Amino acid sequence: MKLLSPHTAHDIIHSGLSLGADFVDLFIEKTQSELMVFKNSRPEDIQSGTHFGIGIRLIHGEETLYGYTNSTDREELLRITSLLGARIGKKNLPKNINFETSHFSPIPALEDVEMDPAYKLFLLKNIDERFRKNSKVIQVMLNLIKKNQLVEIYNSEGLVASDVRPYIRLFHHLVMKDGKFQSEAFHGPGAFGGWSFLDTLNQEQICETLLKQGTTMLYAPPCPGGKMPVIIDNGFGGVIFHEACGHLLETTSVEKKASVFWDKLGEEIAHPSLTAIDDGTLSGEWGSLSIDDEGMPTQRTVLIKDGVLKNFISDRLGELKTGHKRTGSGRKQSYKFAPASRMRNTFIQNGSSHNDDIFSSVAHGLYAKKMGGGSVDPSTGQFNFSVQEGYIIKDGKITTPVKGATLIGTGPEVLRKISMVGQDLKLMAGMCGSVSGSIPTTVGQPLIKVDEILVGGEA
Amino acid sequence: MRDILENITEKLSTRGAESDLIFSTNKSLKMSAQKGEISEYKVSSSQILGVRVIKEGRVGISFTEALDEESVNFMITEALRNAQNSHENIHEKILGHSGDLVDCAFYAEEDVELSTKIKKTLELESLVKKADSLVTSVPHNSYSENEFTTLYLSSSGRFTSFRDKAFSISTSALMDKSGKKANYYDSHLTHRFCDLDWDKVIKKSLFYAREFLNESPLSTGKYHVTFSADCLQSIMGCFSNFFSGKAAMDKVNPWTPHLGQEVISADLSIHDIPQFDQSFRKSFFDSEGVEQSPLTLIEDGNLKSFYHNSVTSNYYSTLTTGHASRSALGPLGVSGTHFIIQGKNPKTLPSKYVEVIQMDGLFSGANRVNGNFSVAIKGHLWDRGERIKSVGNCTLSGNFQELLKNVEVTGTLLSSSIDGTFFTVPLLFGDLSIAGV
Repeated sequence: MKLLSPHTAHDIIHSGLSLGADFVDLFIEKTQSELMVFKNSRPEDIQSGTHFGIGIRLIHGEETLYGYTNSTDREELLRITSLLGARIGKKNLPKNINFETSHFSPIPALEDVEMDPAYKLFLLKNIDERFRKNSKVIQVMLNLIKKNQLVEIYNSEGLVASDVRPYIRLFHHLVMKDGKFQSEAFHGPGAFGGWSFLDTLNQEQICETLLKQGTTMLYAPPCPGGKMPVIIDNGFGGVIFHEACGHLLETTSVEKKASVFWDKLGEEIAHPSLTAIDDGTLSGEWGSLSIDDEGMPTQRTVLIKDGVLKNFISDRLGELKTGHKRTGSGRKQSYKFAPASRMRNTFIQNGSSHNDDIFSSVAHGLYAKKMGGGSVDPSTGQFNFSVQEGYIIKDGKITTPVKGATLIGTGPEVLRKISMVGQDLKLMAGMCGSVSGSIPTTVGQPLIKVDEILVGGEA
Repeated sequence: MRDILENITEKLSTRGAESDLIFSTNKSLKMSAQKGEISEYKVSSSQILGVRVIKEGRVGISFTEALDEESVNFMITEALRNAQNSHENIHEKILGHSGDLVDCAFYAEEDVELSTKIKKTLELESLVKKADSLVTSVPHNSYSENEFTTLYLSSSGRFTSFRDKAFSISTSALMDKSGKKANYYDSHLTHRFCDLDWDKVIKKSLFYAREFLNESPLSTGKYHVTFSADCLQSIMGCFSNFFSGKAAMDKVNPWTPHLGQEVISADLSIHDIPQFDQSFRKSFFDSEGVEQSPLTLIEDGNLKSFYHNSVTSNYYSTLTTGHASRSALGPLGVSGTHFIIQGKNPKTLPSKYVEVIQMDGLFSGANRVNGNFSVAIKGHLWDRGERIKSVGNCTLSGNFQELLKNVEVTGTLLSSSIDGTFFTVPLLFGDLSIAGV
């Protein structure tokens, strides 16, 4: 069943064009969401709901006019369109639009089999019990999130596309205590798919890893501060590329010349050992999607090849303003946002170094085994990341655990200092917040070495 | 709309459930400028309805943004189904109070032409660009206006109505000097268009961008530090679990065993004052419809109370402090209104200290259960009353509890955060680790 009648969609788009817009699209969304919060060894909160709304975008020249409403009422949609069109202040006589359904190859998602709520609770209870066998665990918080986003996109070029996007994520948060010492450990695997994802998780391994992390960090002394080489582990370590470089390659920043890389296409911006990809087509991955929020099929985009900048991450407006071809990267959190160029599954490709060689090349430095979150100002390239689990490296060996480390620097600087790239690429789910809201993205990398970075810690 | 809400609570009553409902609407206009043109122009009108049901001691929550009968009925069914799968919670109940409370702040209607708003928005870019040849672009700038309403109705008959309108502007200055870049972002929030201080936002963005062009790291070491009100608000917000009855219930409030004990410097007191005169907006009731009054969290360093809603107060056999928070989307939590740090025994500032103006990465670099944090900072180094250096490319590390123990009051005048919800006397924090060169 259509979320909005094609007849109404036609009228709205026609109205937008007649008010002077060069291009009009509609984004209709219905998202069913479920959240189970398992805390204090019991199902603490169970929530569900329906997001529904329609976003109307008019593009005139380089100006974006965007409005949204929760109503499918034709008159309300026309009212919003006329409010937006009033900004343009000219009239057109548009041609009729003949909608043609866009056919695309859907990205395979993990199966969305029906799952009894009692079974979900049974799974969460088992995880909780597994953690609590350790007497130092004082709290286990498990958030099981499931979303099913139905979207329909109509545009003035005649495109009609619809897509179903299932997302699932199980967030683990562990709190441990021993006397005056306290620590936390997190893990949040997610997938583009349904309930069958839960069967793919190796809970025994997840519990073991988090308990080890929590226990180690309980007694860890503060990290010493200063500039030093840093080895960043695979998986969520990829957040450093996401923040330090990925955001700077989005045309949203490039078009305002608010990215330090805006004029560097074809130039060497990174160490030659580094190749980086943004790929929306990976089966079942958290950041994948079949079509972007402008109706374009997603693709695999090589961003950096052997240190040379090859492509930007571009959407319709990005292409219009910068000339860089669209890459199926127009994304947004919901109908409440206009699409913007955003990352999907972004990672550093496997390199040629062996992990042993990477470690043995460091006489004194930091091993960031587990990264936390971070942020960047794309205009200056300045970033910061937290290290959840860190260790001092001495003479090539992993030694004392340390807590409270933060890595800061600038994107252009750090890219040139990634001198060794391992061969154990791993992807991890995360959420990325930017101009068009918070969206699922995957980060990833093999083990890498950064020759020098400022580590914030104890003086 | 009240009729619809009453109808839903009645429907739920016939199915044996107590309930409360939140209905929120928002109308907004937002625009920003690039290259001398309006580049983004956004209008919206949205709504959301959320229900919390309690049936046989079990709580279920559901919401919908579509208000047709089918969607509302689906929301009701889902909420009841969620309750069925939830655990029995003896502490969570719909409060038994009734009666209406209305908080619809009145602001004189302003007749501002759209063309004026557009002209002023364009100036957020053009005046920054014109002011300094080092400005290469104004990556973030915007004008926005928002009108909110929130209705609350419980099955016991409590009805509250809240309405507000806010205007905000922001701009930034991205400067480039021989390849070195600096960017600073500032904003201003008011209840009326005519009160927006466009000039101040523009000047402040330019001033700090110029300052940060010349930033350099400090030598790694221990420093005395002051924070701007906004930075200190961020730190307090990041560690808000230390003040939360909900976090105490969830075993993630490290101060839980220390109620009645000295937890911070005896020179400091911290209050939550809902109707604080200098605040952006007075607050009269919480998300359970409980009328609000001032709360002392810490008095002379002693922990006096946590924030409580009806659930956390039942758990701890105390009274709700009127700090329930809930949106239409989610479960019941707690939150403060206006956080006021007051102090006594003011001392003079030492000759040398670091003034922190901007912090990045606090939330990702913080451990909320042990209070440790590490954050990238920008600011100034002061020596003998003079600002001698702009500071950047360094990090500050500390511990929330230690921070508030090792502190001196250095003045009596309150300064406010940009959003008008946080107030503090001037404070100097000792022996904080800064890593630089």
